[in-house]
Amino acid sequence: MASLSYREKTLYASLVIELVVYLPYFFLHGQNSVGKVAGMIAAIILLQILAQGVIAAVTGNRITDERDRLIELRGYRVGYFTFASLMALGLAALWFHASVLHNMNMEHHNLGLHFLSVFFGMLVIADITRTVAQLIAYRRAL
Amino acid sequence: MPAIRNQVRELRAARNITQQELADQVGVTRQTVIAIEQDKYSPSLETAFKVALVLGVSLEQCFQYDPKGKR
Repeated sequence: MASLSYREKTLYASLVIELVVYLPYFFLHGQNSVGKVAGMIAAIILLQILAQGVIAAVTGNRITDERDRLIELRGYRVGYFTFASLMALGLAALWFHASVLHNMNMEHHNLGLHFLSVFFGMLVIADITRTVAQLIAYRRAL
Repeated sequence: MPAIRNQVRELRAARNITQQELADQVGVTRQTVIAIEQDKYSPSLETAFKVALVLGVSLEQCFQYDPKGKR
């Protein structure tokens, strides 16, 4: 950990927290509820504050520079592209089910929650992709 | 070969300056100095001037541009 910059340490912590909190979300997809999603968001915020506080306390040199900012921008670009792609795929799948297969039951009582879950899942995947893209950029040429 | 190459590692070693000392004087992280020395990162013009200034050489002695190099 000593050879990592402050930003890299915070990114690794973010990735671990995201995976620990979000992975159950995907495995328990059928049992999702609004309360569970809200709890997950609250857990992420609390764990991030805790982890960032610990890293800031144990890291003496906390400076960030131009390379950190460039890598951050690259991460956001990858994350945005991932989210936009997933949204396009999701909308295409929705159209396919509704128009071609005609098996979209809009009266289903869980439909709203299902859409919310899928949308939240896209955000989660985009966020994890953003973090991983930044970590890769730190290890490879920029 | 990268488009922008540099002699930072050689110049720094000749002056017995550590990567951390150079980073502190330039105002970047040690990881950025490592990336510059390994030609993995081309710094901004301002940072390049600061590196040259700290090493006591001109910009051209520190950084070279190869138009045929890979960007």
